[in-house]
Order: sequence, then C-alpha cells, then structure tokens
Amino acid sequence: MYEHIFIQERQAYDAIVVGSGITGGWAAKELTEQGLKVLLLERGRHVEHGRDYTGEHKAPWELPFRGRGDRRLYEAEYDVQRRCYAFGEATRHFFVNDRENPYEHDPDKPFSWIRGYHLGGRSLMWGRQCYRWSDLDFEANLREGIAVDWPIRYADLEPWYDYVERFAGISGQPEGLPHLPDGPFLPPMMMNCAEQHLKAGIERAFPERKMTIGRVAVLTVPHNGRAACHYCGPCERGCTPGAYFSSLSATLPAARATGNLTIRPHSVVHSVIYDEEKGRASGVRVVDYETKEMHEFYARIIFLCASTLGTTQILLNSTSSRFPNGLGNDSGELGHNLMDHHFVVGATATIPGFEDRYYFGNRPNGIYIPRFRNLGDRATRHRDFLRGYGYQGGASRAGWNRGMAMRGFGADFKHRLREPGPWTMWLGGWGETLPRHDNYVELDPEQTDAWGIPLLKVHCTWGENELAMRKDMAEQAAEMLEAAGCTNVQPFDAYTEGGLGAEPGLCIHEMGTARMGRDPKTSVLNAYNQVHAVPNVFVTDGACMTSSACQNPSLTYMALTARAAHHAVEEMKRGNL
Amino acid sequence: MNRREAIKRVGLLFGGVLYAPAVAGLLSGCRTGGEAAFTPRTLTPEQNELVVHLTEMIIPETDTPGAKAARVNEFVDLILTDWAPAEDRDRFLAGLADVEARSQAAYQVAFLEATPEQQVALLTQLEDEALAAPPSPDGQPFFLMLKQLTLLGYYTSEIGATQELQWLAAPGRYDGCAPLEEVGRTWA
Repeated sequence: MYEHIFIQERQAYDAIVVGSGITGGWAAKELTEQGLKVLLLERGRHVEHGRDYTGEHKAPWELPFRGRGDRRLYEAEYDVQRRCYAFGEATRHFFVNDRENPYEHDPDKPFSWIRGYHLGGRSLMWGRQCYRWSDLDFEANLREGIAVDWPIRYADLEPWYDYVERFAGISGQPEGLPHLPDGPFLPPMMMNCAEQHLKAGIERAFPERKMTIGRVAVLTVPHNGRAACHYCGPCERGCTPGAYFSSLSATLPAARATGNLTIRPHSVVHSVIYDEEKGRASGVRVVDYETKEMHEFYARIIFLCASTLGTTQILLNSTSSRFPNGLGNDSGELGHNLMDHHFVVGATATIPGFEDRYYFGNRPNGIYIPRFRNLGDRATRHRDFLRGYGYQGGASRAGWNRGMAMRGFGADFKHRLREPGPWTMWLGGWGETLPRHDNYVELDPEQTDAWGIPLLKVHCTWGENELAMRKDMAEQAAEMLEAAGCTNVQPFDAYTEGGLGAEPGLCIHEMGTARMGRDPKTSVLNAYNQVHAVPNVFVTDGACMTSSACQNPSLTYMALTARAAHHAVEEMKRGNL
Repeated sequence: MNRREAIKRVGLLFGGVLYAPAVAGLLSGCRTGGEAAFTPRTLTPEQNELVVHLTEMIIPETDTPGAKAARVNEFVDLILTDWAPAEDRDRFLAGLADVEARSQAAYQVAFLEATPEQQVALLTQLEDEALAAPPSPDGQPFFLMLKQLTLLGYYTSEIGATQELQWLAAPGRYDGCAPLEEVGRTWA
C-alpha cells in the first residue's frame, strides 16, 4: 500500500536515500531494518507493484502494433530508449521520454543512456543475471598497473554476497570455479536439449571451458514469501507474483514493513547541501518534478543510489567554496573513468538434430560460459588484450517468423509453419572494459533541463583493448559452435566506429564515475563507499566501481550497498557520523 | 468458429492449462451480433478488397481460419496509416495497382475475376521476381512487404496465435526437452 505522506519542510531524517532502483532499494531496506528513519527520494512517478504492470501477460493481439511498436512515436520521443532490447509496446511506460530528459554526447561518439524514472527504477526491467566477482577482478588494476587499486578484496565482499543472495534468491548451478565463486543458489533452471548437447561438445573440445545455466535473480522455488517463476517469459513487463527480484517485489516491501520508510516520488535531487562549518553534508535540495519548486531535506547520512550517471550528475552539481568542482572532487576524478561492458559480438549457428524435441514454457534466462582468458596462468594468457569476457546465449527453435524468408504461400506454406523450425544457437560476449580517464562525463556550462539541472555531457568510446578483445569474442564463439558440431556458423560484431549497435551505454552496465580507491588524491570514495572528504555521503551504485570485470554488475552493487549501509549504522553508533 | 468454441478448443489444446486473464481476454473479445464494420483509412474499398483476397491467398483458411477471418487487412491498413514511412506506403499501393495491371495484361480481367490458377501463377511470378531482385535502397519489393505484413498480422492475431499455433500467458513450468508431439505446435 502506498500512502501519500505529507512531508514537512525542513523535516530531518536519520538517512536520505536518493534513488529507488537496485541499490536504493537495498539501502532503504538495510537502513530501516536497523532502525533508521529513512526518506527515499525518487525522481519519477510512483509505481504500484502488480497494479501498474500494465503490460504483464498481454497477448500480442492486445498490443496496437502487435509488438512492432509505434514507430513514429518512438522516433519522436524515445529515440535512445528504443535501442534497448526490453523497450516495446508492453514496457514503454518504464522507460524515460528522451525528448523530456535530454543529455549530450559528442556527435561522433554515440552513448546510449537507457533509463527508467519511476519507483523501482531499472530494477523493473533489468536483465537479472547475477555473477560474483573474485580476486582475479579485484586485484586486476594493481597487477597490471591500470588506473587505481580497489580498496577491497573478495574476502571483504563474500559475506555480503551471501547476505544479498539469500534475500534476493538467485537460481544457478554451483561449478566450483575459483574466478566465478558459487553462492547459496536456488535450484538451477533447465538447459534445453540443444544447449545440453552443445555443453557436452564445447567442454569436450575445450576442457578448460565450462558452460553453465545462467545465474539469475528469478525464483525457481517459492522464496521469502515470493512465488516461483511461472515461465511467461518477458520479466521486464513486471511480475505480480514477484518471481524476479526488484525493489518493488523484495527490498521496498521489507523496508516498508519496518515502519521507518517515507517515500517521496516526483523528487528530482538537484544537489547535496554541504555544511562548511561541520565539514559534512547536511541534506539535499530537491526540485519537485511537477511544480518545479525547490525543497530541502536534512539527514545525518546520505546514500546516493541514483544510478552511475545520475549520482555523478548530482555530485558534480553540488558545488560550494570547499568543493568548487563538485562534492568530494578533490582528486579531479569525479565524472571520469566511465565504463560499460562492450557486447553484441559473438556467433550464431544451426544445431542439427533434435527435430522431435521442443520446449514448454518461456525460460527467462540463458546459458553462461564463464571467462576463460587471462586467468592469471600462462595457459590462458592472451597476447592481444588484458582481462576477458564471458558469454551469454541460448538455443531455441525457429518459429513462424522464419516464414518471412521462406519461399511460397498458401495452405502447404501455412501448414509447414505449424511445426517449429531448426534449432539455432546464439552466443554473445560481455567484455570487460578498462577504466580510462578520458572516458568521462561533465556538466554542460550553459544548458539545463526542465528542472534547472545542467545537462550531462558524455564522452565515451571503446579503446584498443576492447576492440582487440572483440575479435577474440567473435572468433572463439564461432570456434566453439563449430567444434560442437553446429552448421551455418556465423560470427557477428555490431560495432562500427561512431555507429549504433554496440556503442557504449547500450549494455546498461555504466559504472565508474566516482570510483573507490585507497588514496583520496586519486579516487572519490573509500573502502566503505564514503566520499573521502565527506564521510556521511555514501555512493553505492555503479558510480563507485574501480574496474568493470566482465560479470553483470548489479549483484556486486547489492553487496556493496548492504555492506556500506551496515558500516554507516556502526559509524553512527560509534559517534563518527 | 465463435469465441466460446475457441475457448473450449484452446483448453483442450493446452491440456486444460488456462490462465484466468487470458480467458477474460478471450471473453471480452466476444462480439455480440454481426461483425463491426471496418472503414479503411488508407486503402480504398477496392484496394481493401484486394488486400483481403491477397492475404487470404498467402494464409488461407484450412482446418483453421485464415488471414481474412483474422482481419489481417485491418492490420495492413493500420500499418500503412500509422506506421509506414510515406515511401513504403506509396510503394505498397503501387504494388496493388501493379497486381491489377498484370492481371489485365496477362488475362484481360481484374485480378479478383481471374481463375484461382491464374491468381496463383501471378503471385508466384511476383514472389520469384521479388526474391531475385537485388537489395534496393528504395526498400523491399511489394510482394515481400505484403507477405511479411500478412504473417505478422496473422500469427499475432488471436486466431493465428491460439488456433493455428499456440500461445500461453502463463505456462507455469519449463521443460526444455519435451517430445514435440506432446507440446504440439509452434509457440506463437
């Protein structure tokens, strides 16, 4: 139940959490459960779990353009958002209107900023893949002399991975890989026949590689009061039974249950208020989304969970005589070292056989081939690039769509499409991106948005290491499919310089613009996600990331957020905050 | 077949697994009395009649209803009116005129008055030409546009998705290696 709570001006809270997506939801849950009175600020509209999932279970004939989308509207209003695979007629209400929410990038360096401004944020449309990091990732910068060292190691995060996984419910198959640690998994989803066949073929040809079912924040059994998946397929439309983890299905209900949570939607955070005397942040300035009125809210601690670029925009816009270039920006690194995973590269193929087999249900998950390059030993070292990549993918049988490319028409043609077509497989790589100072965001000195906030200007390209890695990503995908007995193997790579298809941002794993580090001179945050010089401000969303690894990052954000929230409460108890 | 029969049929096809909202959707779509009149917004009445016939030739009524029953012509008109760029719409309409011109040239009658064999021959010729044509910056040949709109309009219609193929709002489980004969048909 949502109650619109009248919030008194100048009311003080123990904590303010900015943003209600994956990390904001976790921050709200952990802080309220420890007794703090929390104000959760969300810039977008309220979304009611269940009631507002208006696209859920909609049949294709119930969509005006039958899933093809309202082309003219999309071009006029959603020119960036429509590039996202999850954007469509049944989900458009969960994506921002690009015309109303502008940002900038260099004309020859496209950056796709995919956003959802509403309660729950992108936790409603996220891809749900969950993979732990290991010390292979946390030590990489130090080992190779890239950027700065992470101030934490796997041992610091391991109990928090356990903690968030137990609450969220992650289904998967333990594999015992040191560089992709297992967690307390719920039962794994099933690989289909063709995938099982490929797994055997790939592991036979490449004994050092492994294919496993995706580790996914979708329940395979009832868990913590939430129902198991019913395999309808498109999670991004919302799930009334709460079978996939989101702020609305899991963390916010827990936070609400404490009685300590106040949610204020339509609250665009303009900046953090800095108290020069105390050397601390005292609160935030909020522009009301609808009335454009400015309000101030005060709290002892502030958690910025507004998304990597959203949080960075707030910090850059929080200027004072102590911080003329943005709150906590003594290092000059705020806004820099932007990363995203590079993807849309791999191979597709046909899998002969299994004509008498099909699947029942829509599995909201695929397979995963964990990283096998540069694992720290000589055998896996690759000469052309640092770090590595993992593959996601899946096998399916062609449906009626194949009729588009089939010659013929009439009764026989119709009848042939009644049976599914051949099995096909795709394998796509998700590659690690190196942190580079010259991939950065800044505030436009002139232009502001409707709420008076300077526009964000993004400067981001893939570097030599990413492009060298992509060659290997396509080649190895093709080789594995070939070795496993596939036919019609076709490598693909959607990247073109300055073009769309595999541009930065598209993976929606943007991170790194307020990085953690050991030295305040070269980083923005400390080992507990506190702004070095303003320790009552925490940043626990993707902005905090010091490197990107190749694993989907949300699980790591969750663990970092829970850890930081507990640290914050301990520090408050000690009187340090 | 009316909707109530469709529901019974769907229930049998899916072994009784039916999801309540899907049933509600089926029921709410029930028409009382005659078919609602359709007035095309881009197609002329004559062009609409031709589209009805052409789409039905591509996906005819067999043991399940075809494109005509699924009102694919209405979907085509929607796409031409609210979706297609002007040049695509114009190429489609020119393609309809070309069908008539070819019929007159080859058989000296309007396309709808030609024999079924003549109609099939003409459409086959159009498809052969379309498939042989090199890719053009002007967009797809008319026949491929027609065929793709027909397939999309039919298989995403309630008739195409639930009677010819199968569609389930909430399967309830996942089996990745089921015998095809148990699953039945292609998932819509």
